[in-house]
Amino acid sequence: MAEKTTNKVESTHEETELKKVSTMASIRAVLPLAGLVAVFILFNVLTKGRMVSNLSLALSSVYVIMIASMGVFFIMTMGGLDFSQGSILGLSSIVICYLSKYSIPLAIVCGILTGAAIGAVNGFFYVNRKIRSFIVTICTMFLLRGLIKYLTADAPVAGSMDLINLDSNALKTTLTVVMLAIGFVVFTFTKFGTCLKAIGAGEKAAMFAGIRTDRMKFLMYVLSGAITGVAAFVNSIKVGSVTSSGGNQLETQILIALVLGGMPISGGAKVRFLNVIVGSLLYTILQSGLTMMGLTPQAMQLIQGVVFLVFVAVFADRESLQVIK
Amino acid sequence: MLTGIYSIESGKFILDGKEVHPRNQVEANNEGISIIVQELGTLSGLTVAENIFLGHEDRFVKFGIKDTRAMNKLATELLEKYGFDHIKASDMIDHYNFEDRKLVEIVKATYFDPKIVVVDETTTALSQEGREELYKHMNRIREEGNSVIFISHDLPEVLDKSDTITVLRDGIYIDTVKSADVNEDDLKKLMVGREVVGNYYREDYGEKVSDEVVLSVRNVTVPGQIHDVNFDLHKGEILGFGGLSESGMHEVGKAVFGASYDREGSVTLSDGTQINSIPTAIKHSMAYTSKDRDNESVVMNQSIGDNICLPSLDDLANKVHLLNGKKLKSFAQEYAHEMSVKMVNTDQFVSELSGGNKQKVVLARWIGKDSDILVLDSPTRGIDIGVKQDIYQLMDQMRKNGKSIIMISEELMELMHMCDRIIIMKDGAVNGELMRDPEMTENSLISMMV
Repeated sequence: MAEKTTNKVESTHEETELKKVSTMASIRAVLPLAGLVAVFILFNVLTKGRMVSNLSLALSSVYVIMIASMGVFFIMTMGGLDFSQGSILGLSSIVICYLSKYSIPLAIVCGILTGAAIGAVNGFFYVNRKIRSFIVTICTMFLLRGLIKYLTADAPVAGSMDLINLDSNALKTTLTVVMLAIGFVVFTFTKFGTCLKAIGAGEKAAMFAGIRTDRMKFLMYVLSGAITGVAAFVNSIKVGSVTSSGGNQLETQILIALVLGGMPISGGAKVRFLNVIVGSLLYTILQSGLTMMGLTPQAMQLIQGVVFLVFVAVFADRESLQVIK
Repeated sequence: MLTGIYSIESGKFILDGKEVHPRNQVEANNEGISIIVQELGTLSGLTVAENIFLGHEDRFVKFGIKDTRAMNKLATELLEKYGFDHIKASDMIDHYNFEDRKLVEIVKATYFDPKIVVVDETTTALSQEGREELYKHMNRIREEGNSVIFISHDLPEVLDKSDTITVLRDGIYIDTVKSADVNEDDLKKLMVGREVVGNYYREDYGEKVSDEVVLSVRNVTVPGQIHDVNFDLHKGEILGFGGLSESGMHEVGKAVFGASYDREGSVTLSDGTQINSIPTAIKHSMAYTSKDRDNESVVMNQSIGDNICLPSLDDLANKVHLLNGKKLKSFAQEYAHEMSVKMVNTDQFVSELSGGNKQKVVLARWIGKDSDILVLDSPTRGIDIGVKQDIYQLMDQMRKNGKSIIMISEELMELMHMCDRIIIMKDGAVNGELMRDPEMTENSLISMMV
């Protein structure tokens, strides 16, 4: 076909422009990884190597965040948000701890189902009632937080000894790695990932290209809830019992972790699965490093806030920021 | 740029010997410059009067309180002066359709007698009536001694309405000519940078279309949009849909593709398949390009490659549903090159492409899917001559290869020259049908449209 009259001057100009854009993009891609290494080295120097020697302790909270943030990662890829993760984790943990007295497998299955059911409620209001996702999930967050407080009012719900005896780094690591591996393969090498990104980058056009966007959006909330159910299992064997603050603020931690990992808040085509892994590691190291330094929780929160703001400013994709659903 | 929508990187605008450097549209208005844009330039949620005086509310403010009555009164006077009596100043702008909102914009842009009015491709979004109205006011502005900068892809329109024409190609100044000295072909040559060779539209007449029906539409109704539409599409046929932009013809495209909500009636393929949803339509080899290209056709913030592969992902996956990056890339490259999309590589984002190239990406997607029935809604809207010709030739080629095309368009010329049959819509219903004929005139179409 025609149109081969490219003007030389103009095309080289265009190319330099594009090169500039692509260098910016590669800087953004490398920054979280570089940040992870830098923060790790920095804290090791500051704590005189205590972090390396206590690595398993330093990383003890990474499993829950890493697993749970994968579900939120899928949701954010398609341009949604989910603030109910902490409450889902709390409630699923209660279910798991309670049922662990009868049967561990039953407890795990019911914990995952609890997460999925709450996800389905989120998805129903978001997709069928067309309410913005962050409003729906903030509502379920408050509602479920109330329920958790009610269930744990008299005493924390404790898990059985069988459950607590399962606690080992080997199990937690294996579970996390398996979950992530499945997530990575499905997201990167099947149409699932491309479709999610397309919804995040332009939902209407994705629909006209044949993607069942509504069904996908609903199922993603169910899936994310179920994934958090798995995280709740890891959480339960680690802490052994659930208090009224179980899973408190997990949603914010996940959000910070993903943004630290280089995830654009508006989702879309620029997300990478690596965001989940780098982000949760970076967040966990930052947090445990600050704890080892002996900082007060107040000061820690302040520093986290500043870091969060800086990263959002760097990674905000300003062209598509208006499409957060 | 002149009106302050984009900022200037270098160089300056000089108006009456004075440099102007507006930072936004309101500042530009104060300098005597205004603009009427291609898409919607009015803000919903405000009244007609508030839209007209947007940014100039100060003149109605007394002691810090806005005098709405005075504003409405002045707006009503202006609307009457322009002859738009059916628009009420105190109504919400949302009550009015696209055409009427454009009329409001004309008032907004011209009531203060600006020295320069920029009309940016406004006509592509308007029906014939709306265009006439706009031309009238452009003439009036000129007669009052002020100037109009008229930006358009529609060559006959440019030739007819302007005194001098400046041609730009890909952001670079090419030439300025007097309208009286040139004809359409000269302009095309300047725009494309070479002689437009070969056929522009398809040239055949009197070829018989196959009797084989590939798609039949029966009693299709979309409440509030279209009413009881019936037609058959034949193999190798280009079936045109014409009408005013509000006639429901755009909804026909969506309804056929299974994209309308609450559709009644049936859309049936030759093998008896009922088309009721987009995925079903795509699975049975149907394709659709929307009039709203940026929102409904291309996924803007995604790569060209992903855009092309999107509907074909199932075909490209292996037995266990895994995708191979290399295979996707070569697939995308093959069809992007076939459509000669002007790009750096297939990883480039669609949002960086021009309108014409975006449309090529959409067409590449459906050619890659090897669709047999294509519903093309306004396929050449806002696209320059060179790409237009490519698209017309592609349609002709597809027709010869036995593909069937439904072409919905507001441009009568392309309907007349490209279609085997044209159905004219009016007020949501079919109002007439014309067969391909070299003697057909625009007036015969217009008389059925209004």
